[in-house]
Amino acid sequence: MIQFRQVTVNYGYVPGALKDINLQMHDGDFTLILGPTGSGKSTLLRLIYMDILPSSGVVTVDKWSSFRISPRQINRLRRNIGVVFQDFKLIDNMSVFDNVALPLVIEGYRRKYIRKLVHVLLDEVNLLQSKDQRASTLSLGEKQRVAIARAMAKNPFVVIADEPTGNLDREASKNVLSLLERINRNGTSVIMATHDYELIKETPYKRIYMENGEVLPGDRTINIPNKRINILANKE
Amino acid sequence: MKFFFVIKQTFSNLWRERTPVVATILTICIALTILVALFEISFVLYDQLRDLESNMMVEVYLDPSATDSQVKVIQSELERYPTIERLRFVSKETAAAIFNEEFGENIMDILDENPLPVSFEVRLLREFNHSEYLALFKTQVESLKGVDEVHYRHALIEKLEKVTEAVAIAGIFVLIILVFAMNLLIRNTIKLSVYAKRRQIDIMKILGAGNLLIRMPYILEGAIEGFIGGFLSAICLIFAHKFIAGSFALVEIGTSTYKVLWVLTISFGILIGFLTSATSVGRFVNKIFAKK
Ligand SMILES: Nc1ncnc2c1ncn2[C@@H]1O[C@H](COP(=O)(O)OP(=O)(O)OP(=O)(O)O)[C@@H](O)[C@H]1O
Ligand SMILES: [Mg+2]
Repeated sequence: MIQFRQVTVNYGYVPGALKDINLQMHDGDFTLILGPTGSGKSTLLRLIYMDILPSSGVVTVDKWSSFRISPRQINRLRRNIGVVFQDFKLIDNMSVFDNVALPLVIEGYRRKYIRKLVHVLLDEVNLLQSKDQRASTLSLGEKQRVAIARAMAKNPFVVIADEPTGNLDREASKNVLSLLERINRNGTSVIMATHDYELIKETPYKRIYMENGEVLPGDRTINIPNKRINILANKE
Repeated sequence: MKFFFVIKQTFSNLWRERTPVVATILTICIALTILVALFEISFVLYDQLRDLESNMMVEVYLDPSATDSQVKVIQSELERYPTIERLRFVSKETAAAIFNEEFGENIMDILDENPLPVSFEVRLLREFNHSEYLALFKTQVESLKGVDEVHYRHALIEKLEKVTEAVAIAGIFVLIILVFAMNLLIRNTIKLSVYAKRRQIDIMKILGAGNLLIRMPYILEGAIEGFIGGFLSAICLIFAHKFIAGSFALVEIGTSTYKVLWVLTISFGILIGFLTSATSVGRFVNKIFAKK
């Protein structure tokens, strides 16, 4: 379970990137974080993998709490979370194989085991044939699939995706979404921040709507027509 | 697998920054060569000085007019010196015999009478054979009645002492400057590597990599630069030895000294490379991510 209790984030002297957030996300859920640019979606997600710590309040992720957490424990936490980003965050001059293997190398697994596991993972995202290619030579959609394979390498309890389709065309976006859905069906929680209303409008998932660093109450994203326009207008 | 990863990263860093890396390795090589050469020179000088000291003879020449009883007094005075190891009386006749032996001529044939003065040959305890004590000994003994002059090879010993000291001081200076230069250049390559890999470091952090794994490639990078620099320096020094040994009788080097050279330069190179990178990589990594 992931829990936010009275969480506030100020970036330096700029206050209110997040204001008094109270939230719970349950294991196995697929959660969408929606909201205009600058509303605090990325900030919310960064708190989960503890890239930043709250200025006040507490974030609890599984058995880790942001309160007085040590750097070593933050690393532990991150090794149990999968992350996917809009800009993929692949290491461009490494092969596809090495990119997917990276979390396993960090964990200190044996070479033989890594090789087997990476094969399975690349097969899942349909990129086994590209395993020896440099990551930089892939198409954007392929890159994101590599990133998803890497996020799944450690079989995390949650995958966090911050606008994973932000740089992708329609076809690739659908592909990424269906991969995340498949991951979720296998029991892993998925938390995805997105601008792409078109992509998710038909989905039945839980939605958290953010604006100005606050979570709007209720499940109104989909239901209020004005908001829908807002989301799209703000994307430009 | 971690191990292979670190090694691969290390060599990719070295290759990526090859120009500054080569400059750094050359600097380390030159610095170590100069340092070890200075060390060796002062070693040889010191050896010479010791040699000279342990073979040094101090001669106490007596007045030709000194009476037998004065000679007795001088002898007993000298015998009371605890710094004297050996004392030998050299009569006129013995002196003539020594002269004869050294020059192959009888002094009596050249001159009508034996002009050589009576003297004492003094050998001081080894640790008192330095110019400071010798000067003191000279003034003390020369103040005795019947002593004409105390003689030793003071010019040579003083000169050698001065040179040895100067080389040692220069060595310390050069050591400081060169260590500083090596430090600067090694840090520079580490900084460049960390900067070039900042995206990768960022990604590894997000994936939960520990500090050690993140820093290890850069620490090894410094150590390898030091290793190669030390290795090249040993080669330079051995060539220098081969070259000098032919024309310079002073430096006689056996193969055991070559072993010492290899060990000395390589271990010093690795040490400075390792310490410099290990103490600076954390700062560079933090600096790059400070803005987050
Ligand atoms: N590193 C930072 N330093 C200062 N302010 C920041 C930083 N990151 C984000 N902010 C500010 O915090 C607020 C929330 O930003 P955040 O990135 O969480 O929004 P977002 O909803 O993810 O937006 P987008 O849809 O554009 O990704 C914004 O006002 C933003 O300007
Ligand atoms: Mg964002």
